[in-house]
Amino acid sequence: MKFMENTKINFMAFKNAGFTISGIMGIGSIVLLLLGINLGIDFKGGTMIGLNFSDNVGIEEVRTAMSAVESDGQIIDLSGEEIKHFGSTDDVMIKVKIRDNVSPDFAQHIVNHVYKTMGDKVPADKNDFILSLDSVSPKVGTELSGKALWSILSSLALILLYISIRFEFKFALGAILALVHDITITLGIFSLTGYEVTLSTVAAFLTIVGYSLNDTIVILDRIRENMKSSGTVLLESTINKSINQSLSRTLITSLTTLLVITVLLMYGGATIRPFAFTLLVGVIIGTYSSIYVASTFLTTLYKSK
Amino acid sequence: MNNTLRTRLLSILFIFGLGIYALFPSIKYLLLSDEAKSDLSKDEIAYFESKTIKQGLDLKGGIYIVLEVDLPQLVSSLAKNKDKNFDRFLEELSKEYRNNSADFFTVFEQKAEEQSLKLPRYFISYGKTKEQIIEQLDLQSTDSINRIIEIIQNRVDQFGVSEPTIQKQGNNRVVVELAGIQDSERARELLQSTALLELMIVKDVESTNTIVRQIDNLTSTNTESDNDNVDQLFNSDDSGNNDLGFSSLLIAVGGNDLAISSENLAALKNILNKDSVKQVLDATGSLFLTGNSPETLINDFGEEEEVYLLYHLVDNAELTGGVIEDAQMRLSQSGVSAGQATVQVEMNNEGSREWSRITGVNINKRIAIVLDRKVHMAPVIRSQIFGGGTVIEGMDSIQEAEDIAIVLRAGALPVPVTIVDQRVVGPSLGADSVNAGTSSIMIGLLLIVLFIVFYYRASGLIASFSLMWTLILLLGVLALLEATLTLPGIAALILTVGMSVDANVIIFERIKEELRNGKSVRSAIDSGYERAITTIVDANLTTGIAAAVLYQYGSGPIKGFATVLFWGIIVSMFTAIIVTRFVFDFITSRKNIEKLSI
Repeated sequence: MKFMENTKINFMAFKNAGFTISGIMGIGSIVLLLLGINLGIDFKGGTMIGLNFSDNVGIEEVRTAMSAVESDGQIIDLSGEEIKHFGSTDDVMIKVKIRDNVSPDFAQHIVNHVYKTMGDKVPADKNDFILSLDSVSPKVGTELSGKALWSILSSLALILLYISIRFEFKFALGAILALVHDITITLGIFSLTGYEVTLSTVAAFLTIVGYSLNDTIVILDRIRENMKSSGTVLLESTINKSINQSLSRTLITSLTTLLVITVLLMYGGATIRPFAFTLLVGVIIGTYSSIYVASTFLTTLYKSK
Repeated sequence: MNNTLRTRLLSILFIFGLGIYALFPSIKYLLLSDEAKSDLSKDEIAYFESKTIKQGLDLKGGIYIVLEVDLPQLVSSLAKNKDKNFDRFLEELSKEYRNNSADFFTVFEQKAEEQSLKLPRYFISYGKTKEQIIEQLDLQSTDSINRIIEIIQNRVDQFGVSEPTIQKQGNNRVVVELAGIQDSERARELLQSTALLELMIVKDVESTNTIVRQIDNLTSTNTESDNDNVDQLFNSDDSGNNDLGFSSLLIAVGGNDLAISSENLAALKNILNKDSVKQVLDATGSLFLTGNSPETLINDFGEEEEVYLLYHLVDNAELTGGVIEDAQMRLSQSGVSAGQATVQVEMNNEGSREWSRITGVNINKRIAIVLDRKVHMAPVIRSQIFGGGTVIEGMDSIQEAEDIAIVLRAGALPVPVTIVDQRVVGPSLGADSVNAGTSSIMIGLLLIVLFIVFYYRASGLIASFSLMWTLILLLGVLALLEATLTLPGIAALILTVGMSVDANVIIFERIKEELRNGKSVRSAIDSGYERAITTIVDANLTTGIAAAVLYQYGSGPIKGFATVLFWGIIVSMFTAIIVTRFVFDFITSRKNIEKLSI
């Protein structure tokens, strides 16, 4: 079967359009990020509780039950915290912000209180009631954020080094620019959805780092191969030729990857959905950037010489 | 078949065989019925546990807890001649420690300098200079964390968890992972409790009355001065108000006992934390502690009220848990408590001697049995006790008595610990994730196979064949490495399925290109593979770098993701480059193919 074979699309003709689109999306994303991103308890600290009721349950009911939680003799009003359904209407997710001076068993006290006050709608065994319970101190949260940032930066640095050795420093710069582009825009779109950034989001972003590079390198590899015939001069026609030669591969691989990610998004369950969504956006942006960002940036680098 | 082809076939078959062999126990376990699973002997269970792919906490359900050692508390307990300056220093230090992740002893040194605290004044037995003292304290803290790990290991072993992981993290934390645990509340209690057992004499009624009056005076003068302010008057019936007089919080029960309504616990804490009140208590060498569990009382209005007993005790413990040799849960045989769960404690020789002395000189006084600063019971000593045996009552359930026996046997933690990070996954959520993950993999695999067979025809079949083996070998590697499969790990499996087709796609597209350039089938395959290999290696290695960094960074679930991603890359490179190449070479070696179905 033939698909996108022997194409002769003049990609470089739309170079400026590409720059403009990337520029707008990039700046837009940075603005969105500056406006604030929904950091999860992994990075901010706090408590998140997933509860499984034996019957449909309304958010307002849970909210009412949370208005006077007793913990070590203190009565705390938690009705203003984030409470929402997840998965089905039987399951509720409660997110409680960090509080000063609460007992270390605060999370358990909340569970116990809801279990007691909503006695007619809970499973007989309390262990079946708790779906998940996460509680992170702000100190650990800060540490995890630091480590997450460090891990993304250090992987970028290592990859820069690898490409510089295998290709050329200029190629590495192009690849990294494409990466930063992908991460920024994916983060921007991510923040629009209101999903919160968790540890698995970081994993998703590092996967995008890997994937986007994979795509970019395949094209850079072609450019390198085609440059052998033209010496050290990098012509737009060489880039066009390389992109066209690898176009079918780029599209087919993106298609198969998107196929599985869509499956994951649809059948993977509520826990995995934000993760799959991040990948979906990242792969689409990554495919686009491998065609436009890295290679167009290369032409600029070579021209300025 | 020529020789090189045969060698290649044999090596490929060898690796396939290895993969199947590694996966065999997992498949066998999967095929066992639930009945057969419950009939397994201990050895068989151990065999399956070590040979099958492990499921992470997020799939199996279980708890992950990070305990942090209370280093300020440790330093405080090592210090001598503590005074106001030291208390202030310690308070600042604790605050900094709670909110800041900087190294404790760096902060310690810094704070000591800021407040120009003379360290040798408090730590003379650890050295004369600041450096010596800090070095020694650091050694002490390493020592205590090692002991804490040992004790926690001990507790977990006795609790009966299969394959617990207990690890030190940094120089002040312990990470505990307990898979398959259902009752997270109980497990947490077991890990967190300091298990400090203290036997303390209860102060007599007269001195208690005196001290209550003294504290009353201190608190009520406060109330008076505050009441000058009209706003305060209107706010005065807020619960948790700390301006109530001390005695107004107290309820007399059963003649000599005091109790406090559970609603007033916070107010009590506020009063007892006041500096002036602390001074009064220090001067008499006594303290107030509450009972371990609430009791129900009928109050003056005939309503049921939840109260805690309040005890006034001599601050110095007569005996501590260090002397305990054995502790067992026993059901009480006689008396009013018959049938209730108790903990029978046996002491060592030194403890028995001490215990008989204490009971001998304190006949007709009450002695409180205090565990982690909560009074379990306070019986009257009727006669001298020989032999070091004692029984602790006041347990809510058999389970609680069993757990207390465990922590007493395992020993007290040298320093209290607090939970700084905890993740509990209930068993049902985990099972849901496994089901969702498995069906996603199946659907994803099916779609991909359909797509590549449709697109690449016969060559697509070869790619599908290699894809299937990628999955089998990858699972085999995970079983061999005893890696843990987590929910993100399943996602990585699916992702590998999608992404590993890439290597095939790169190769096939190259071959097609070579064919278009007029090469014969045979040489198109050769040059197609040759040219594709560098691209594939470069592209995959960079993803590999990202996976390796992720592995370094992540905890549990994320590590699982990185492991699968990393090995997925290696395995898919093997199947795409070596296995499919062999199939192509094998087919073209037998007859001269004119047209390639690709």
